[in-house]
Amino acid sequence: MGSMFRSEEVALVQLFLPTSAAYTCVSQLGELGLVEFRDLNASVSAFQRRFVGDVRRCEELEKTFLFLQEEVRRAGQVLSPPEGRLPAPPPRDLLRIQEETDRLAQELRDVRGNQQSLRGQLHQLRLHAAVLGQGHSPPVAATHTDGPLERSPLLQPPGGPHQDLRINFVAGAVERSKAAALERLLWRACRGFLIASFQEMEQQPEDPVTGEPVTWMTFLISYWGEQIGQKIRKITDCFRCAVFPYAEHEEGRLGALQQLQQQSHELQEVLGETERFLSQVLARVQRLLPPWQVQVRKMKAVYLALNQCSVSATHKCLIAEGWCAIRDLPAVQQALQDSSSEAGVSAVVHRIPCREVPPTLIRTNRFTASFQGIVDAYGVGRYQEVNPAPYTIITFPFLFAVMFGDVGHGLLMFLFALAMVLAENRPAVKSAQNEIWQTFFSGRYLLLLMGLFSVYTGFIYNECFSRATTIFPSGWSVAAMAIQSDWSDEFLAQHPMLTLDPNVTGVFLGPYPFGIDPIWSLAVNHLSFLNSFKMKMSVILGVTHMTFGVVLGVFNHVPTNRALFRGQEAVQSALVVLALVMVPVLLLGTPLFLRWRHRGRSQRKPAGRQPVEAGGWRESGREEEDKTRMLDSSDASVAGWGSDEEKAGCSEDGAGAEFVLSEVLMHQAIHTIEFCLGCISNTASYLRLWALSLAHAQLSEVLWAMVMRSGLGLGRKLGVAAVALVPVFAAFAVLTVAILLVMEGLSAFLHALRLHWVEFQNKFYAGTGYKLSPFTFASEEG
Amino acid sequence: MLEGAEFYFNVDHGYLEGLVRGCKAGLLTQQDYINLVQCETLEDVKIHLQTTDYGNFLANQTNPLTVSKIDTEMRKKLCREFEYFRNHSLEPLSTFFTYMTCSYMIDNVILLMNGSLQKKSVKEILVKCHPLGRFTEMEAVNIAETPSDLFNAVLVETPLAPFFQDCMSENILDELNIELLHNKLYKSYLEAFYKFCKNHGDVTAEIMCPILEFEADRRAFIITLNSFGTELSKEDRETLYPTCGKLYPEGLCLLAQAEDFDQMRRVADHYGVYKPLFDAVGGGSGGKTLEDVFYEREVQMNVLAFNRQFHYGVFYAYTKLKEQEMRNIVWIAECISQRHRTKINSYIPIL
Repeated sequence: MGSMFRSEEVALVQLFLPTSAAYTCVSQLGELGLVEFRDLNASVSAFQRRFVGDVRRCEELEKTFLFLQEEVRRAGQVLSPPEGRLPAPPPRDLLRIQEETDRLAQELRDVRGNQQSLRGQLHQLRLHAAVLGQGHSPPVAATHTDGPLERSPLLQPPGGPHQDLRINFVAGAVERSKAAALERLLWRACRGFLIASFQEMEQQPEDPVTGEPVTWMTFLISYWGEQIGQKIRKITDCFRCAVFPYAEHEEGRLGALQQLQQQSHELQEVLGETERFLSQVLARVQRLLPPWQVQVRKMKAVYLALNQCSVSATHKCLIAEGWCAIRDLPAVQQALQDSSSEAGVSAVVHRIPCREVPPTLIRTNRFTASFQGIVDAYGVGRYQEVNPAPYTIITFPFLFAVMFGDVGHGLLMFLFALAMVLAENRPAVKSAQNEIWQTFFSGRYLLLLMGLFSVYTGFIYNECFSRATTIFPSGWSVAAMAIQSDWSDEFLAQHPMLTLDPNVTGVFLGPYPFGIDPIWSLAVNHLSFLNSFKMKMSVILGVTHMTFGVVLGVFNHVPTNRALFRGQEAVQSALVVLALVMVPVLLLGTPLFLRWRHRGRSQRKPAGRQPVEAGGWRESGREEEDKTRMLDSSDASVAGWGSDEEKAGCSEDGAGAEFVLSEVLMHQAIHTIEFCLGCISNTASYLRLWALSLAHAQLSEVLWAMVMRSGLGLGRKLGVAAVALVPVFAAFAVLTVAILLVMEGLSAFLHALRLHWVEFQNKFYAGTGYKLSPFTFASEEG
Repeated sequence: MLEGAEFYFNVDHGYLEGLVRGCKAGLLTQQDYINLVQCETLEDVKIHLQTTDYGNFLANQTNPLTVSKIDTEMRKKLCREFEYFRNHSLEPLSTFFTYMTCSYMIDNVILLMNGSLQKKSVKEILVKCHPLGRFTEMEAVNIAETPSDLFNAVLVETPLAPFFQDCMSENILDELNIELLHNKLYKSYLEAFYKFCKNHGDVTAEIMCPILEFEADRRAFIITLNSFGTELSKEDRETLYPTCGKLYPEGLCLLAQAEDFDQMRRVADHYGVYKPLFDAVGGGSGGKTLEDVFYEREVQMNVLAFNRQFHYGVFYAYTKLKEQEMRNIVWIAECISQRHRTKINSYIPIL
């Protein structure tokens, strides 16, 4: 449980993977997901790395997979995700998979190609049939008599023997969108030496490539002269028209038509056969592809990880470096031993010292995840920094509830969250894709607590849908007051406002046991009473919350006491806490203290060493030498086994090397002023608790008064009121959910978030770390 | 248009401007170029390009990879982006886009006409055409025999039609005439584009006019340079110069009289903008060519266009920068595939 308060201890480890077993080791680590690999070849570009060939082969395979997947999708079928655990296949399996995939892809390509060409042929046949079957008015009769005969003498070169002009035909089909342009271009290019008739086709043949129905126009162009014919052919080519032979005589056309129909029958049979075969191939693809995809993705991930390793001097093993939680080290060691047992040489893992700040690892479960998420959205904590998340579990819902306090609203929210929690294992709920739903669902435990706390604060405010409830008898007695001061009926009729005097005996019986006395809801000074109550409460809560944050800031330094010696920054921040108490003293005190510390250390330095912690820390006299070696860690890791043990860290120098008193003084002053101003303005910021809770109470009050109360006062007769109340209540319910629960809830959530991020966390939480992102196959399997 | 585009520019074009700025951020960086130059094979180039915004645009290419495949795919990618911009644009930005495509259309038309003159098949030429300048009637270009034919039959409905006004003649299209036609078309295109930007006013005019002026002057210089030692008469040469540049009118007169490179250089010396460019042209084999110097200047202007907001110039600049980047990649790829590494570093850096 301690892991929640701070990030776990993470160490830099070095893994020696025998070349023959490196692949299995890394794939095993991928299954475990415990180690984050560091790139030891950062200076080497992607295509110069060791396993680039294997990565490329995987990519080739993925390309083929993509093709297969696309084909399956085009056939309107879906690939089901693979079942069961699929480990990364051994490298030799890649060849088998590749061969089978290639064969499958080739088969599919062939069948698909056949189908395409058959469809294309069928399409052409249909177009041809349509051209022949369409009753274009016989152009010969129409043209011979009028137009061209009259005009041709003018246009023909003089002396041209136009009597024996032969009329030729070009018949074909064109997509409708291009028809108009084609017609105009024909006319312009050939200047009336032709007659074209266009007609829309009745049925819409499917496009052989896309499979969508397209409207085509058939056309028949009759023209004179060979040159014009060439032009027409060029133009029809350019518009991608289908041009067909067109017999001059009716009989010839009918004969051709019959022939076409027979051909298309035959073609359709062949096409049916092809499509059956195609669906068989596709079924095979559907069965085989998903597991392969997962396996090859894993394989590629393994090679990419291996690409980050460096090679040992003897080429016998690969050296990987990475971050790993200390708690997981035995598991990693075990996994490495298991997977390298075949190779004869065992893979080993061991810790190496390092000066870099390790990544942050905080394990969460489904309950804490959403709270950790709130903290991480602000910034991932530094390594071993105090984690605000466990406190947030309580403070966040509580601050929210202060702003949202209402028993009824809280209960609704609680029940909604409870329903989600109870249904969380249902697959339908889990796999819902709606983004808004997912947001709510992932925060279900947060909502649950927020609802619960709202019920609690609701009881304190004594509000349930803005109405007060009388659970306990009120502490005030009106009867006692009336009897004591002899209020007559007349007096009561004349005075709408009456004062209850607590000094009169029997009127004030003692404080209400829990929360606000319900009698306040009758009082005219209800609001001003609540105002003063809520304002004071906000300030108290705010100061408490911030003080808690400041105290946590101390814990940031106390357990890692060694850090105090590491650098002035850490020392400064620790002392800032004391500075709050004695600002003027410490304005000078800290820098002087620091200077003293600095001097003292520089004198002590040659003699003193830090106590040995875990791992490979050893006493070493050859400090300077080691330091230089540390600078070039990649070289050092290649250099051999022995040197790693000697590489003792030199943690305490570096940061403290330079010390300028004036600078420290200035920083100290700035920091102090900033902190003091911050405390004041932050306290004021907590007044938002007051404002929002007031707004919420007033809004629900207004809703009650404007909707429900007017509805209840509608009619004295039972029937009328009952009927009228149905829509009134519906309106009340909808408005309650939409405005008071969703809108107000979001706004209260937002402000609670701000109070945590800005006012609370800035007291102690830097959030400048980075997450441990272990090498894992989780994404490959998804 | 009124002054103060910032008030309403984003209503119509804000999305696209944001998009194009994002795309610009995806241009290859200096580090990318350094890595590309180190590549040993085209496969390496591909792997490296995969880590950039190009992504796996070569994923569906079958082996072996060639430079022309890379080039084609890059063009397709640019074309896809451009089409997206164009399909989402509103007036007058869509007119601006149309103007941008016109230059590619002119090139394509001329390419096809040259092809038909050399009796090559249309399909062979089509693959060489720039995808940005595609239009339906394009392939019918080779039915025309004279410029007026070409205009009346084929191009009258395309956006290119207005540029034909000055080039209607009944000359037979031979190689020289096609080249003249090309330059005249381009001249009237540039002038029309310039006028459009000028009339649009605002930041667009402030950014685009200098770019187009430079483009016009560059053409004038290049035409002059290419006409040395050809049968083109000086009068004809002058009619080809676009008149919207800084050189107009005196500089163009002088240029028309120039007879060799040194005379051209003397003309450029009168202009503060062009003097440094001509000074940068190195003599002999080691120096930069005039073309490279112009390209560098163009890149510089286009990069600077991104410093202003609320104007159309960013779209133009992005397209030109992307084209330059593609030229660079092709250059590097060519050097790699021909194992001719000595000149691999003379690409034009995009800063």
